[in-house]
Amino acid sequence: MVSIKEQFEIPAKMKTWAMALIAIGIISVVIGFIMHGTGTEEEQSVFWGTIMYNSIYFMLICNATMFFVCAVTLAMGGWHLVFQRVAEAISVMVPIFGVITFAVFLYIIFGGHLHSIYHWIDKDAVAKDKLLDGKSGFLNPTFFMVWSILSIGLWSILGARMRKLSVEADESPMDYEKGKHFVWRNTVTAGLFIVWFALTIGSVTPWFWLMSLDAHWYSTMYSWYTFASTFVSGCALIALWVIYLKNKGYLEYTNEEHLHDLGKFMFAFSIFWTYLWFAQYMLIWYANIPEETIYFKPRVQGVYKGIFFFNLIINFVAPILILMKKSTKRNYTMMTFMAVLILFGHWIDFYQMVMPSISKNTLTLGWLDFGVAALFIGLMIHFVGKALARKPLVAKYHPYLKESIIHQA
Amino acid sequence: MAKKKFVVGSFKEESVLFPAVKAVRKAGYKIHDVFTPYAVHGLDHEMGLRETSIHTAGFIYGITGTATALGCISWILVQDWPLNIGGKPHFALPAWIPITFELTVLFSAVGMTMTFCYLCQLAPFVKKHHFVLRSTDDTFAMVIDAGKSNSQEIIAFLEAQGAVDVHEQFAETGWWFGTYNKEQQLYKDTTVDIA
Amino acid sequence: MHLKYEAQIREPLVDGDKDYHQVSEDICRPIEVKPSRLWYIGFFISIALLLFGVWSIYDQVVYGVGQWNLNKTVGWGWDITNFVWWIGIGHAGTLISAILLLFRQGWRTGVNRAAEAMTIFAVICAGQFPIWHMGRVWLAFFIMPYPNSRGPVWVNFNSPLLWDVFAVSTYFTVSLLFWYTGLLPDLALIRDRAKTKFRKFFYGITSFGWTGSTKHWQRHEALSLVLAGLATPLVLSVHTIVSFDFATSVIPGWHTTIFPPYFVAGAIFSGFAMVQTLLLILRRVFNLQDYITLGHIEAMNKVIVLTGSIVGIAYLTELFIAFYSQNQYEAYAFFYTRANLFSPYGWAYYGMMTCNVLSPQIFWFRKMRRNIYVTFFMSIIVNIGMWFERFVIIATSIFRDYLPSSWSIYYSPSIFEIGFYVGTFGLFFTCFFLFSKYFPVIAIAEIKHVLKTSGQNYKEQVGGIELQKVEEFAGEYAH
Repeated sequence: MVSIKEQFEIPAKMKTWAMALIAIGIISVVIGFIMHGTGTEEEQSVFWGTIMYNSIYFMLICNATMFFVCAVTLAMGGWHLVFQRVAEAISVMVPIFGVITFAVFLYIIFGGHLHSIYHWIDKDAVAKDKLLDGKSGFLNPTFFMVWSILSIGLWSILGARMRKLSVEADESPMDYEKGKHFVWRNTVTAGLFIVWFALTIGSVTPWFWLMSLDAHWYSTMYSWYTFASTFVSGCALIALWVIYLKNKGYLEYTNEEHLHDLGKFMFAFSIFWTYLWFAQYMLIWYANIPEETIYFKPRVQGVYKGIFFFNLIINFVAPILILMKKSTKRNYTMMTFMAVLILFGHWIDFYQMVMPSISKNTLTLGWLDFGVAALFIGLMIHFVGKALARKPLVAKYHPYLKESIIHQA
Repeated sequence: MAKKKFVVGSFKEESVLFPAVKAVRKAGYKIHDVFTPYAVHGLDHEMGLRETSIHTAGFIYGITGTATALGCISWILVQDWPLNIGGKPHFALPAWIPITFELTVLFSAVGMTMTFCYLCQLAPFVKKHHFVLRSTDDTFAMVIDAGKSNSQEIIAFLEAQGAVDVHEQFAETGWWFGTYNKEQQLYKDTTVDIA
Repeated sequence: MHLKYEAQIREPLVDGDKDYHQVSEDICRPIEVKPSRLWYIGFFISIALLLFGVWSIYDQVVYGVGQWNLNKTVGWGWDITNFVWWIGIGHAGTLISAILLLFRQGWRTGVNRAAEAMTIFAVICAGQFPIWHMGRVWLAFFIMPYPNSRGPVWVNFNSPLLWDVFAVSTYFTVSLLFWYTGLLPDLALIRDRAKTKFRKFFYGITSFGWTGSTKHWQRHEALSLVLAGLATPLVLSVHTIVSFDFATSVIPGWHTTIFPPYFVAGAIFSGFAMVQTLLLILRRVFNLQDYITLGHIEAMNKVIVLTGSIVGIAYLTELFIAFYSQNQYEAYAFFYTRANLFSPYGWAYYGMMTCNVLSPQIFWFRKMRRNIYVTFFMSIIVNIGMWFERFVIIATSIFRDYLPSSWSIYYSPSIFEIGFYVGTFGLFFTCFFLFSKYFPVIAIAEIKHVLKTSGQNYKEQVGGIELQKVEEFAGEYAH
């Protein structure tokens, strides 16, 4: 008989790492603030922009793990159950990062009036600008804030509901009727989450947070592109945590079969991201309309040229070549490497979505970016570790759990 | 090509077949093949078959397609007959990606399917000997290469493993041209019956 | 041996008390008996429709494309609408076989064969439109790049229309290979069951001498998986490239970056609707209710509501960005000609919205998803809606272009355009009737593969595993 070591205990080393990263992060932010926070508007914008893209990125990838759970639940999947709790634990970061993101937005829009981040908050400029004036029914601080609260709030609430439902599977064995009802209740909540996710990440939210950085520019693809970027990172994040726990001796039922399927997700959605990247880029390149090509001007021809193509290599060429092989997807070391690479790659993707719009002529990538990222990573390690320790790592009486145990990729 | 002697046993259940395969191999008999109505997962490993490398072939065909597309288009539009199309550079890579992708897939799929047919020797008008007619329906037919050993011994062994309808057959292992609507005498049979 | 097990709470994929032989019997029966009178009636109606199409095309070839009502700005009308419509329908087969295979949706085994066949016929129908639109159809081979006698004149590789040539022909080839390699074992089964000389001969040739050797199965599995992996991006690429025909231009309402994924979602949407239409008839006529169960129908309806909603988000995104961009031409295309009930083509836009976005929402309700009559009705509504979508995109954007002096009068099709479209229905159904008579409409080998895990009678037998403690279960079966 196999004993289930299903209760996670936070190792001391993990605490140290989390605290160290948070400390590095806070120090970087403080130094950054001292150096730039009171400087010219340009300097301030770069500082706040850096914090903003990091907070959005980390929040969205954590939210993508809940999307993963909900999507697989709706597809009546059973294979992921041995590690579903890991994905759930990561998603507890949504409200935490959400508050940070929201605070950053509050400062940018109301506190600092940083017009070079969101040009449309400058009332004088909008009054003179026919286009921005026309958009002001949508692009205005009130609607922006209301929509942000709604987005983050409902993700958090629905995510919490999914996690709460999951706990029920720890209590007692379920018979046929109870099991069916349990799965049905899961699909209802998952359905609500997916619908709200589609209305936010699939449409309005990225227009507000990211696309309006270039207030004149527009692309209908933009939100779906953002979704693809965060979802592939979310899968990589799950894989990374699963491998960590596996190395620590937990998750006995999870094996290379499950890792293989996570690898397939990472592979498939890396290609999907590339597909959306290509469709957006190629159509704008082909039609060559100045209103649209302006977006790619600093990115393809300006100082961000290197980052732009590096982004493509790291997020497309590397995954497609390395993850294509079956043996790579079943190898813990290679999967760790690829997961880190993909997470880093899409972090860079977010960087190049945001910063060239704020600082068109100077490349800003530097210690501050990595420092802020360290802060978020530290917070994530701290809180996700706590969330993992709060309940068993396997939902013992879930009706599909046995399918998951014998899953073959 | 010559006819050979085989012992054929039928199984009705996967759960009987798997231990039988193991036992037969352990006893040192040579399994010629197992014919199944559908893809039985894990049977190939149980029989000790090597993994197929048809994927690798597919990858190679695929990159051949990529290279063909990029090579041909760039030669045609840059070298052979450069045209100004919509003010784009002659080397208009983004516009070539769709065709490059299509040819990659086309080469890979067609190449792999042809490789598959070649390796399995499948083609119209190809005829092969069928040991058990119902092995495409509901029977798992294990065929043991009897060689020069005693068939009766193998038959007894297989029956002990749960096989039904165990019998001996002389058959041609390869393929020949023909159709299934008529019986055909293959070659002049020069082998001497041993049994 | 690896344990085969599926949770009890999952609905069985095969109903009734079945064993392997019974599966063969049930699915081969339509091939081995004389077709019913219904089959003959349907077949001859299809032939009649096809002949109407042949007449329309004959007239068009003899007298020229002028027989169609295309005019100054509407250079693309029903022909391209129907091309895109058929190509879209042709997406469900590969989606079911390939993407659902990768997503481990067990229910695809019951429906993939018919869906793949449908895909191939739909692509054949789609291909007719660009070919006959060329006018001088005997010069159709000019679209192929080859070193020719007219000097080094090549096709334009930068043109989306040429990408289409490559995409559609590749898609057709790969779908055909995928479908046919899957058919081989089933054709061999029919060959081995055959009683008549004709069947022995015909299925003997078409089954390529398949025997069911383990090594062959191993390669067959590997080939199917890789072909599925290739077909997945391929199916996305085909409708993507079709969308590029429009989106690479600078025409308002056409040039928008969301077109590629939105077209793909729409294609899957309409393809599934067509699969529903055909399968609901098929299961009734051939008594296949045990294999195409309500569970299968429900699952497909879920895909329909999912893709319908994705398409809905895309419509609203386009509409919103037309406002957000503050581009007067976009605004004209969207708010004057499309989302305006009183514009000449307003009816088509609202028809599209009703059929594609609003009406599929009833599939959020389980009762509706499992109702055969509602499903059948909706499957037709969805395909009408998807036809409207293509027509809206094509006609509304070009009947009023940048130059008001060339604005055309209201475009409506001539009898030859209608006849051509009707003729492709004839072609499609003729092919499908022949397929259902001579080929197994359900993948027999794949059903047998899942029978012992998902068949109703077998699921009842393994109830004991359900009660086992997780620890014990894992100790016994985990690997």
